[in-house]
Amino acid sequence: MRFFEDVSPGTKLEPLTVRPTPTQLFRFSAATWNAHRIHYDVRYAEHEGYPDVLVQSHLHGCFLLRAALDWAGPGARLRRFGWRNRGIAVPGDTLTCTGVVTDCRVDGSGAGIVECALEEHNADGVLCAPGTAVLELPRRSPESDGEDGRR
Amino acid sequence: MSALDDVCERVRERVGTVSRESLGRISATEFQRFAVAAGETDPVYFDDDAARAAGYPGAIAPPLFLSSVLGWGAGDSDADLRPDGAATGDAAGLPLGGLRLMGAGQDIEVHAPVHDGVRLVRETSVEDVTLKEGRSGPFLIVTILREFRDESGTPLLTSRENFIARPEAGT
Repeated sequence: MRFFEDVSPGTKLEPLTVRPTPTQLFRFSAATWNAHRIHYDVRYAEHEGYPDVLVQSHLHGCFLLRAALDWAGPGARLRRFGWRNRGIAVPGDTLTCTGVVTDCRVDGSGAGIVECALEEHNADGVLCAPGTAVLELPRRSPESDGEDGRR
Repeated sequence: MSALDDVCERVRERVGTVSRESLGRISATEFQRFAVAAGETDPVYFDDDAARAAGYPGAIAPPLFLSSVLGWGAGDSDADLRPDGAATGDAAGLPLGGLRLMGAGQDIEVHAPVHDGVRLVRETSVEDVTLKEGRSGPFLIVTILREFRDESGTPLLTSRENFIARPEAGT
């Protein structure tokens, strides 16, 4: 369990490294009913000018989000998440998702809100997908720092 | 006016028009297959007891499940798919024939977890369309807004997805 009080801006997330395979891409297309040939038809992908079939936009998002949620632990609740696809990835690429806490605040309801900047790079250091996640983390003692001064 | 300008105008005419669909009943198997395919191992997606221990009533869908699934019904026959294999519904049925489509990212807001047996309702609209000039020529960025609710109207997820649409090579 990771608590709001244990993180601060600059805290680094534990990196997540994944290596997608053709089988993973096929099953991800199947599970999302995505028939776009660029994800399973190598000749079609080459015709489009790519070296191999492409990791799905949404799968890049899943990798980045998993890095944030694994780090945040079972008590966390995801509020918002976003990513952008900047660079392609193909099966066999090693993709590493990193992140850093950029903001911590307590909202009006007393919830501890943590914002993280995320990045997914390939083994050459090329940025494939930047993202952001906004998470609510459990608080150790929400009643001890209220404005009413209770202890 | 170029062909892409023309498409941009036709997409712009759709901005603000909301279509509402019932997507049917979600089963745990569907979101667990998605979780397996994405490489997820968190037991909250697979195990009711683990999910209850984490404060949920039962196993929940990964947050990106709703906004990653492209088709909720039987889908098009092979012959009705676009030449790139995409279904016309993948980009909200927009008039993007003859263009190459790529997902470019999303922003989601999570309102409530998704469980086995939820009956989904989705509202879809075009939020924005922009014509841009890139290094390899002009392209469109289309932002599609999707609101997912359960059948009682409880908000589950809001998704804004960006698509890039480029002319086919050689056109």
